[in-house]
Amino acid sequence: MNRRKENEIKGIFGLVVLVFLIFLLIPLARLFLKSFMGDTGLMLGHYAEVLTGRGFLEAFGNSLLISSVSAVVTTVLAFILAYAVHYCNLPGGYKGFINRAAVAPMLLPTITYGFAIIYSFGKQGLITQLFGTQLFDIYGFNGLLLGYVIYTLPVSFLLLSNTMSYVDKKFSIVSRIMGDSPFATFVGTVLRPLLGTLAASFVQCFFLCFTDYGIPASVGGEFEVVATVLYNEMLGSVPNFSRGACVAMMMLIPSVVTIALLHYLEKYNIRYNKISQIEIRKGAVRDAVFGVLSALILLCVLSVFAVIFVVPFVDEWPYRIRFTLEHVISVFSDNSLITVCRNSLIAAFLTAAVGSLTTYGAALTTARSHLPGKVKQVIENISLITNTIPGMVIGIAYMLVFSGTPLQNTLFIIIICNVIHYFSTPYLMMKSSLTKMNASWETTAMLMGDTWLKTIVRVVTPNAMGTILEVFSYYFVNAMVTVSAVIFIAGARTMVITTKIKELQYYTKFNEVFVLSLLILAVNLAAKSLFHYIATDRQKVKVKKTARRPVVSKSIS
Amino acid sequence: MKNVKRHMSLLLAAAMLSAAVLTGCGSGSGAASGEVVIYTNADDEAMEAMKHALDANGYEGKYLMQSFGTSELGGKLLAEGTNIEADLVTMSSFYLDSAQEENSMFKDLEFDAPTIDEYPSFYTPITAQEGAIFVNTEMMAENNLPMPACLKDLTNPVYEGQISVTDIQSSSTAWLLMQALVSTYGEDGAEEVLAGIYKNAGPHIESSGSAPLKKVRAGEVAIGFGLRHQAVADKADGLPIDYIDPTEGNFSLTESVAVVDKGDKSNPLAMEMAECIIKNGREELQQTYPLAIYEGETNDSENLSAYPMVFPEPLTVELLEKHQQISENAKVLAEEL
Repeated sequence: MNRRKENEIKGIFGLVVLVFLIFLLIPLARLFLKSFMGDTGLMLGHYAEVLTGRGFLEAFGNSLLISSVSAVVTTVLAFILAYAVHYCNLPGGYKGFINRAAVAPMLLPTITYGFAIIYSFGKQGLITQLFGTQLFDIYGFNGLLLGYVIYTLPVSFLLLSNTMSYVDKKFSIVSRIMGDSPFATFVGTVLRPLLGTLAASFVQCFFLCFTDYGIPASVGGEFEVVATVLYNEMLGSVPNFSRGACVAMMMLIPSVVTIALLHYLEKYNIRYNKISQIEIRKGAVRDAVFGVLSALILLCVLSVFAVIFVVPFVDEWPYRIRFTLEHVISVFSDNSLITVCRNSLIAAFLTAAVGSLTTYGAALTTARSHLPGKVKQVIENISLITNTIPGMVIGIAYMLVFSGTPLQNTLFIIIICNVIHYFSTPYLMMKSSLTKMNASWETTAMLMGDTWLKTIVRVVTPNAMGTILEVFSYYFVNAMVTVSAVIFIAGARTMVITTKIKELQYYTKFNEVFVLSLLILAVNLAAKSLFHYIATDRQKVKVKKTARRPVVSKSIS
Repeated sequence: MKNVKRHMSLLLAAAMLSAAVLTGCGSGSGAASGEVVIYTNADDEAMEAMKHALDANGYEGKYLMQSFGTSELGGKLLAEGTNIEADLVTMSSFYLDSAQEENSMFKDLEFDAPTIDEYPSFYTPITAQEGAIFVNTEMMAENNLPMPACLKDLTNPVYEGQISVTDIQSSSTAWLLMQALVSTYGEDGAEEVLAGIYKNAGPHIESSGSAPLKKVRAGEVAIGFGLRHQAVADKADGLPIDYIDPTEGNFSLTESVAVVDKGDKSNPLAMEMAECIIKNGREELQQTYPLAIYEGETNDSENLSAYPMVFPEPLTVELLEKHQQISENAKVLAEEL
């Protein structure tokens, strides 16, 4: 197998691992060490206290349950949406709508989710008023499920849709011609190639729910979850980092199981020599079913957010419903707004750039190199850990390690933190796309005299452009909406829009919170269209080049 | 066209990068500029009052005030110690006590401000914030609920599902409720009353101090317990909100100002500004937080609560932990009710 030395890949691997060592492993180790530190040196006393604390094990069990259920529901819903886009004959405009609407919740800060649910389905909620009665009790399991599904749907959809676009649909036809039943065809040519991604989607959604604090704080009710315990220990009225670190350590346990699971599913990943653009088989019933199902799913999701377009423009929801621009004016007359907006934009843009490079580099080493499996596993595990650590924990760990260094209170540290915190999903997307491409391109190119770098730039990158764009965009919007870690590492001069939102929430100025959330939404929409506009043009150019690619010659350079 | 786009994307990238460099992406440019950085957990009324005091006394443009939630600022104080960016901090007093004990991070104050009660040498109060019951008048009428007069009334089963309170595990706002219960009914009695309140609150035992008011405003519940001045402001604003001073007493927690000890790097202006806030800001602060703290101040504001009370013991972290335990026991008791 060792056809080349792959020094470039080794270099990239080293860099990626170094970044994660400094900005993930060392801070976490520093924090976790605290969980073992007592008054008399090393001890396990904190663990005993935490484990026997009232309701800890129940909260842990509750978290496992609600996160698993939410992850399954989300993955099924996202599969329906992605299937409608990639395997059904629906009008192009409608597919475009699904593509955009499915990721819409991601463009808003999660702070708004809890409000949106209460203002929609609560006693005086918009939807409650439309139906004349409260549809279901929003506190506890139901509310959490609704919140989590909305929260994780974009991630699941992105993962599934991304992989589906690299699955060769021609195999479905071959399967049908060979006389397989429709079900066998579906299992063999759709489900099986997606198995790894379906599992990845489940895992991603599970941990997003497992570690989220905002949604249970709003609608958790009496259904206690472990993220709330973590918050109370870390940042409650008597903050205790040692006990908080214990809880965070416990929260790592599920990831051990998932590392094994993902490793097992690895073998289901499939490569294609090329992806044929074929016409999707006619199937009026299928199209109708998936078209309508998708519409229903998206209607439910979007209806929850309808209220946030209303609240900022009325005097005081729900008791003084009269149009006013007072809240909007109040937000925009704050002269610190320009600074935080500028900081947010810079942080988001650089997060997107650095993040795309990092994930691309990491994915190249795992998907397109012949490094030993154990080495690749390092990156896989890093990716999973980033997803398992609640933002609050990263923020506190960063304070412990980087306070007093020149990095403290800089935009740089915010950018690095975002890149690491959100690494997991984009990495999986990137890996998925690179894995599905023909494995022999680099070898062919090398035989024809091209350097590895040239092959990556001229062949692999153009073919992965769609995914790179998605990843760039994913990092950008997440950097715009994140707050859990940033609130601790932003300084007075490096505050961003979401920390401003946190402030307004603290002042109980909830209407202004919604105004800023809409502002973020607008920025994210604008940014996404801009990236799309730039990239579509790029892609056309590259596709032309790639088409010529088999004739690899030095003369082109 | 193609070129236009390519240029645009390059331009965008260049603009962003240069902006990042220009805004000091890689350096904490603050120290050089000499601005005093103030971290505060104060509400916006208190922040405005402090800014007015500073601006009117020649400090305009010489400071940068940044607000945080109590939890976040508490976390920062503990984790960052004297490395914290702030030169001056205003924060709930008992958090300052913990931070001082953990990190020895504050200087003794270098000015005199004679308080009515005694406080440690490294901080002095800016406000005393009181607790009160508040109601959504429309929800009260809609559900034919009787107006409560005291905290014990909240255990009445008619209020089931209509009460929102804060959990003392996560937010110190709940301590105001706890102090009232413990001082009136003793520790065992407090546990019992609290269990009754928790039973009625059901899913509305909140982790955030501002959540009860949020739910009362949204019409999710009819009654809440929280910071009195916030309900006063809502009522004045014309919302269907009213507040009730419970007969058990309006207990209070102080927020104080402290100066971070940065050794040689300490900004001398920080101490001056702390003094300025106390000497010149109290008058405006008292309009929102009426309790007298300093000698010579009077309790004559129209916003004064009906039953201002002070807890007989010092408000230490140990006491808070004891009260947390009472609350945890009450939760268990509530499930058996």
